[in-house]
Amino acid sequence: MARTNLSDDRELTEEQKLFKESISDWAERNLSLERVIEMNREGHPFPEDIIEGLAELGVIMGPVPEEHGGMGLTWKDQVVIADQIGYIDPSIATAAGFMAVETGWGFTLNRYCSEEVREKYVKPSIKGKKFVGIATTEPKGGSDVAGFESTAEKDGDEWVLNGEKTFISGVEECRKMGGGYWVNVRTGPQVEGAPHKNMTSFFVPIDADGMKLQEPYDDAGRSSLSTSGFIMEDVRIPEEYMLGEKGKGFYHTMEGFDLARIMIGASAVGVTRRVLEEAADYIKERETFGNPLAKYEGIQFPFVERYTEMEASKLMVRKVADMADTRYDEEGWVKRTGKAQTYKPTEIAKWISMIKYKIPHLAKDTADDAMHWLGAAGYSSEYIFETAWRGVMSYCVGAEGGANIQKIVIGRETLGKDYVPYK
Amino acid sequence: MRFVVLVKQVPDTTEVEVDEETGTIIREGVPSTLNAFDEFALNVAVDIKEQKEEEVEIVALSMGPPQAEEALNKCLAIGADRAILLTDRAFAGADTWATAVTLSRALKKIGNVDLIFAGQEASDGNTAQVGPEVAAHRGLPQLTYVSEIEKLDPGEGNIVCKKETDEGHVRIKSDIPVVLACMPDPGFEPKIPNVREIMKAKKKPKEQWGIEDLGGKEDDFGLEGSESVVIETYSPPPKGEGIKIEEEPEKSVDELLKFLDEEGIL
Repeated sequence: MARTNLSDDRELTEEQKLFKESISDWAERNLSLERVIEMNREGHPFPEDIIEGLAELGVIMGPVPEEHGGMGLTWKDQVVIADQIGYIDPSIATAAGFMAVETGWGFTLNRYCSEEVREKYVKPSIKGKKFVGIATTEPKGGSDVAGFESTAEKDGDEWVLNGEKTFISGVEECRKMGGGYWVNVRTGPQVEGAPHKNMTSFFVPIDADGMKLQEPYDDAGRSSLSTSGFIMEDVRIPEEYMLGEKGKGFYHTMEGFDLARIMIGASAVGVTRRVLEEAADYIKERETFGNPLAKYEGIQFPFVERYTEMEASKLMVRKVADMADTRYDEEGWVKRTGKAQTYKPTEIAKWISMIKYKIPHLAKDTADDAMHWLGAAGYSSEYIFETAWRGVMSYCVGAEGGANIQKIVIGRETLGKDYVPYK
Repeated sequence: MRFVVLVKQVPDTTEVEVDEETGTIIREGVPSTLNAFDEFALNVAVDIKEQKEEEVEIVALSMGPPQAEEALNKCLAIGADRAILLTDRAFAGADTWATAVTLSRALKKIGNVDLIFAGQEASDGNTAQVGPEVAAHRGLPQLTYVSEIEKLDPGEGNIVCKKETDEGHVRIKSDIPVVLACMPDPGFEPKIPNVREIMKAKKKPKEQWGIEDLGGKEDDFGLEGSESVVIETYSPPPKGEGIKIEEEPEKSVDELLKFLDEEGIL
């Protein structure tokens, strides 16, 4: 029986179709589902070949302009790539998680960094030689920015950073590859009722003096991309490592989150499609009580419900990518679509929050369903479902913003600011 | 130098369905891909280009419906410099003869071609006839089952290739221009174009040529110009499941001998 194929690429451009084909061909040689499962079992294996392969494919930071070492892709192009990377790596770990962090944050870093940071860190990261990530969460603050305690004080031409960052993706990879983090700190007193003010972003090299790296956590899933943290003890950073404007770090950071969340939403569509295809192959073959499982409504109906949700999600992702493209058109930073369509950043953020809240849950629930359809086989790591379930759960609970925070953004933009539960 | 690579878009499926009335393959709704042997031929051409100091232009040439442009886009991403699609209603329904006539006319129009690469055969028809027929129409020598080009000497005007045979392989020298029907060694991995190459390909020249561009009468081409008639197309009955002996080598030989003996084969 032919393998189930739920892709419908007819609306893609010729180039986008080739992106997908190249990623699939590369995965066939380098990243089979068996290898994804194995890497997630081993934990933090730092698969150098995978990272170099992704860079060689050109799927990291595609939207960075060509003059800055990127490919100048549109976000509509990059979501097709992210979707396919999620498809080949349903754990959203080394391939998908790495690509998402590097692309969302790498693009934003490139927008706000100095030429020195671009040359030393952004360009090598595009080539898979270094890692750049995001470090916002602290022991007392994450989504609640009022809890942020890290600080930076000016000392001559330098800034001196102190504080702790925790639950940070990729610290182990960054340590091995070299690179650094987008770090938010306070450069002034906390403003009553506006805790996001006086926050400033810096790029902090992982090997800067005073950086104390912590051991990776033993996460439930996504094990082939590390999570840990670091303490900054009098880390001295030159002025040109400040990102964007002093005191505007919160706004710059939200832009990075927006783009990384688009990548996660798109990847989760790919995860869902892969899970459905793998499950379909099984339920069409496996017979019980004289019929294939797929013949029973108890399995067929939830299957088609998930499929329908996946297709709806794909359309949402494309809309959001289009919004992101027009955003950068309007700012005149890079020419992308040529369309003069106006979306307020908060409106774009609402749509991004919708995909970030919805699609990782869809992927997780689909993997959950698939395990039920397959029974004991689905629960075993012979199949991808439990690896996908554990991996994608990371993006439901918090990575790149927890689901409930996304709902607060959506509520704020639909019901109005008067109904925001926490300020 | 100029290389032309003849390529074909083929159905990307192992389950080909055939129209019972016309005997032709049903292509609607079936995903398509670049024929694997043609992809190998293009890879060989690109490899030579990369090794050569002199300027080499690689032209990917295909005959097919407008959607065959997809296969040519891939050729451009892999490394072809220019793509030409021969597409016209008059070309439809061509057998290998009419296909070779059409491709040969296009080769004449392109002009100054030093090497013509083709896949040994296409995965849909498996005739292995188009490459040799093009050579015949163009009055050129042909080398088939070429797995490697060992030496290309434009100064001397010859080429040395490795040609696969049933017994192994032979090294064979030919004058150029020549038609090379290429077949990869098992395990060959074609080049995977990256995003940068795909985006670069977008800017490379692409042309479509119809009957007016090639000249000639309508009945030279397509179904009208075809010499063969398909009487029947059918799938051979599936083979039985077979027997798999999964034992240690010594024991499996005994098992096999016993089986052959029982079947009266030995």
